[in-house]
Amino acid sequence: MVPDGAGLNQLGGWTVISLLVLFFGGTLLMTFFIGRKNENADGYMTAGNKVGFGISAASMTATWIWASSMYASATSGYTYGISGPIHYGLWGALMILFIYPFGKRIRAVAPKAHTLAEILYVRHGKSSQLMLAGSNIVGSLISITSNFIAGGALIALLSPFNFTQGIVFIGTGILLYSLWSGFRASVLTDAAQIFAMLGAVIIIIPVVFFATGGTDMFVTGAANLTPQQSSFFSSDAFLNQGAPYIAAVLAYAIGNQTIAQRLFAVREDLIKKTFITATVGYGATIIGIGMLGVIALYAGVVPLDGDTNNLIPQMAATYLSPVLLGLFLVMIVAALSSTADSDLSAMSSIMMADVYGQNIAKEGQANPKTMLFIGRITMVVATGAGLYFASGQLNILDLLVFVGALWGALVFPVIASFYWEKVTNKAFTVSVLVALACFIPVRFAWIPMSGATGIIVDILATVGIGVVLGLMAFGFFGLKVAKIVAAVAILATAPFAIGFLHDYAILSGSLVAYSVSTLVCYFMCFRNQANFDFDTIKERIGDFDNRQETNHESAEALLEKKA
Amino acid sequence: MSVFLLSLYVLIWPVIVAGVLFVLGRGLWHEIREAKREGRSLI
Repeated sequence: MVPDGAGLNQLGGWTVISLLVLFFGGTLLMTFFIGRKNENADGYMTAGNKVGFGISAASMTATWIWASSMYASATSGYTYGISGPIHYGLWGALMILFIYPFGKRIRAVAPKAHTLAEILYVRHGKSSQLMLAGSNIVGSLISITSNFIAGGALIALLSPFNFTQGIVFIGTGILLYSLWSGFRASVLTDAAQIFAMLGAVIIIIPVVFFATGGTDMFVTGAANLTPQQSSFFSSDAFLNQGAPYIAAVLAYAIGNQTIAQRLFAVREDLIKKTFITATVGYGATIIGIGMLGVIALYAGVVPLDGDTNNLIPQMAATYLSPVLLGLFLVMIVAALSSTADSDLSAMSSIMMADVYGQNIAKEGQANPKTMLFIGRITMVVATGAGLYFASGQLNILDLLVFVGALWGALVFPVIASFYWEKVTNKAFTVSVLVALACFIPVRFAWIPMSGATGIIVDILATVGIGVVLGLMAFGFFGLKVAKIVAAVAILATAPFAIGFLHDYAILSGSLVAYSVSTLVCYFMCFRNQANFDFDTIKERIGDFDNRQETNHESAEALLEKKA
Repeated sequence: MSVFLLSLYVLIWPVIVAGVLFVLGRGLWHEIREAKREGRSLI
């Protein structure tokens, strides 16, 4: 281990190569055990819909925890002080919990589905399906890009290799083990990766805490914090980080195919247990890692090059021993790999089921071999695209919030489509497009917010608060409670929010996306006389591939056959 | 917030993570044994 120019400890080039070879080699080796000589197209997308609790909960947790969320939580801790990690991690965790009742409904309506968009095809038609599928692809591509950026930045900071070499190592490693077995490889390797991640979190947080001075740090470093940063009830943290994130992650959970894919894979009776475990696992891990940002703030650490994305690697390189620095590298690589492989298999499923299976092949005539080929080619192309975009090094936290808010426009129309018989394809499509048209100028402050415009935006944003809270209540308690919660939320926040919310562009943009899509969708549907029969979905969505999976035969099996 | 509470606030998360790790490990162990007993692939 050698210190670099900035006084940070680095791992030697060969140490990094050995760790990466060990990590990706071990992961690749695991996938050989589940490899099929003749892979089944449905198995490639959902692993047969009967994955057990241990693997599915591990996979759900690992997928939800991405390297970028670790960096973003620490950034939140550093920027907003002691409540910062809560306003990142707690809301993200609760969203896993809030999404579970919807997950149960989706699974009951379409037990054999592969993607959410595939269900929308049967429910509404092509435009709704392709809108959701397109947003899933964009989201997964951004997710892969940000994970590659996180990996490249980490390797550049901790080793003699540069950023470009780092992203190429990471991209190639993930593609190698994901390519052949798809989703099955993704969930199995997630299970191993979560052990590396969580194990590292358990060790690294206390070590950094004591290395920076332990309890004394809170006395000597207290002057580094503003009153807002010192407060556990910081309004700055809530309005700038927590509130936009609450709105964004509900959308993220609905709009993200990686979560939907795990929902379709887990055994139906284990959905609740899986989601609850993932909620606790994600929350504790991400809030815990966010504490590194809080510690950095107390310790007076200044992020390298003023970039808060460097904060976590910088803390590790400053305070960890060589062995723990290696463990830290493995933790981040595991976090980004588990999410990136999930995104690869999500994109491949969308291309297989939504693009080829339902839009290119004739109904009931999709060729499983062609599907698998398309799935694998998608992974290669997506990795190449992720590497290309990663070379532009974008701000990770901004990307996360932007995509989440973009998905906000989809949340109500998607959820309503699974419960309300009256929602039509036209209403779905128009409501999403109108919501996006309203969201973008508010989010990027393209229009002056003075006078009536600001008030209109505030009113819509206040309705958006009611929509978000109402949807959360709806999942657990039904329509009646949801309406009460929404009404109370709107009435309670209106006096404070109107005339004020438009100053927070990220938050009001997200809320406007929710409210506009809800209002447009509702008013276009409530007088609709036609009722959709949800049983149709179950009847029309099934397996694409009825071939038996063929395992690589073991020597033992061959001998038995011979005998 | 007092120094004690701040320290507890920082250090409680690894403890919870350890609990989750135990639950996941136990679940996984049961599934591996079950798959072995039934002679099928884990996934």
